[in-house]
Amino acid sequence: MSTQTSDGTAPDRAAVRDRLDRVTDPELDRSIVELEYIDGIEIDGSRVAVDLTLPTAWCSPAFAWMMAVDARDEVESLPAVENARITLHDHMHETEINRGVNEGLSFAEAFPDADGDVAAVRAELDEKACVARQYDAVEALLNAGLDAEVIVDLRLRDLEMDDSTNTVDVYVDDHSFAVTAPNDPIERYLEKARETDLVSEPDDPLFRTPEGDPIDAESFDLVHHRGRLAQVNMSSQGGICDGLRAAREGRLEGTADD
Amino acid sequence: MYQHNGEEIFVIDGHVHLWDATEENITHEGGEEFIQCFYDYHTTFTPEERQWDMDEYREYGADRMVEDLFGNAAADMAIFQPTYLTDFYEDGFNTTEQNAELATEYPERFVLNGTFDPRDGEEGLEYLEELHEKYDVPGVKLYTAEWRGDSKGWRLDDEEAFEFLEKCQELGIENIHAHKGPTIRPLNRDAFDVADIDDAASSFPELNFIVEHVGLPRLDDFCWIAAQENNVYGGLAVAAPFAQNRPGKFSEIMSELLWWLGEDRVIFGSDYAIWNPDWLVEEVLEAELTQEHRAEYGVEWDLETKKKVMGENIADLYDIDIEAKRQAFRDDEISQQFGLEDHYASEEPAAADD
Repeated sequence: MSTQTSDGTAPDRAAVRDRLDRVTDPELDRSIVELEYIDGIEIDGSRVAVDLTLPTAWCSPAFAWMMAVDARDEVESLPAVENARITLHDHMHETEINRGVNEGLSFAEAFPDADGDVAAVRAELDEKACVARQYDAVEALLNAGLDAEVIVDLRLRDLEMDDSTNTVDVYVDDHSFAVTAPNDPIERYLEKARETDLVSEPDDPLFRTPEGDPIDAESFDLVHHRGRLAQVNMSSQGGICDGLRAAREGRLEGTADD
Repeated sequence: MYQHNGEEIFVIDGHVHLWDATEENITHEGGEEFIQCFYDYHTTFTPEERQWDMDEYREYGADRMVEDLFGNAAADMAIFQPTYLTDFYEDGFNTTEQNAELATEYPERFVLNGTFDPRDGEEGLEYLEELHEKYDVPGVKLYTAEWRGDSKGWRLDDEEAFEFLEKCQELGIENIHAHKGPTIRPLNRDAFDVADIDDAASSFPELNFIVEHVGLPRLDDFCWIAAQENNVYGGLAVAAPFAQNRPGKFSEIMSELLWWLGEDRVIFGSDYAIWNPDWLVEEVLEAELTQEHRAEYGVEWDLETKKKVMGENIADLYDIDIEAKRQAFRDDEISQQFGLEDHYASEEPAAADD
């Protein structure tokens, strides 16, 4: 799969970190690097070992699995990496997950008694993440002065990214004029919208309801509220995860061996 | 009653348990994992000086429970929500029968709920009737993610579950509390999906569906369903303690709930003994919405709203006459035991520190 660079240069630590930064906690839609789940990165020639600890040992095995698999795939996508070994620590299913991920098994193979595969769970969480990211993108456009009627009619082709200024030009009224907005929230939204096949063709409407339907101007406010709600849901769960992590650290410090 | 800015607020704790998680009662590793996970929740949100140690947490007993709930009048009444988990605990974790020990001793102070599990079939229907006859339960607490043999859960919109909801309707058991909350290993995550509430609530408009833990981490799905089904309510257990250590987040969650459900369908519950009402009630009542959220959502966490959420809303569901209770509590056994007669005697708001 991965190609070894001809001169055998070891992978760059920053590049590994950058790859891991693209892996998100699927429930919180935040980077596992930013969330401080990564305990260590070791590079030995073309082999990379990554240590990972989640906030709680009870974290859904499906979520833990997704993060470990994504971490492996991201790191192995670097040309200089031949093999990435992921070690999840302090999780109630660490044995199954570490074995499954490092031996290339499927979730169903790693967890024979699970109800199903992780694909459906992943798709559902991706859709939620997309709804939450849409909120930020729409906020950016509202702040740029666009109103509901215009925003619901936007198509992918109406956007022109300008990476040199970190802005996006949004063309409205049949391309008669453009409004400039920051491109970060738009890019972040498009990344997820593409992953979930919501927006891919130039003529696709830019935004949709959480059910995937086009938005009419009258329901714009309600749909926008739902995006906000999706964000509150994620950040609340993040609050619980942060708390559980602190509680566990306290508990582990209190006991000599656990 | 809680004295808040010179006003009295009658507090009904909508979610309490009397559990037994002693090692002798645990028959499956899931039982130990379950109580350990509860304990992590406990220490996460409880102020450090109010935290319990693990041994007392496993089994605190009836006397301590009465004191924690009512000793300083933080709560005036409480509603038992059983959690059977009979595959994990020899005698169950927190059954109607265990709860009945206190509920029958102090019938004015406690409401006793039952439960059902559609996987029990005919036997389960008989058990529900038995609970109705023996205890006249006005509600049931349901744990859709409970393990039973090979099964890792069930759904409220299953055909079998509908049979049980029909039975509830027939018996006059109107309040259906469904646990839809944070992931608690080793229970299955997917069984906490709130989508099944939708069909059940629209199929049984005469029943009230109280979604415990407001569906966290499915708050978005829950609010969307509740906004359309007016017999769906949100129980604050697990969301409430955010008031203590994440007030900004509490403000945001509460603003969402008030925006989507309105002030008549949000219900307080401490989830005792995960958290004690003696500090939690105060934290929730003293909490404020941020200026930013008040402007954004156009909702208020004011005195009128607090009175509803802390007691009046659930009193409506359970036909509790708050004024009659106030009078009855002037000289009931619990007021005598904790010297609260004066507290309930006052016609006028009592002094700030009684």
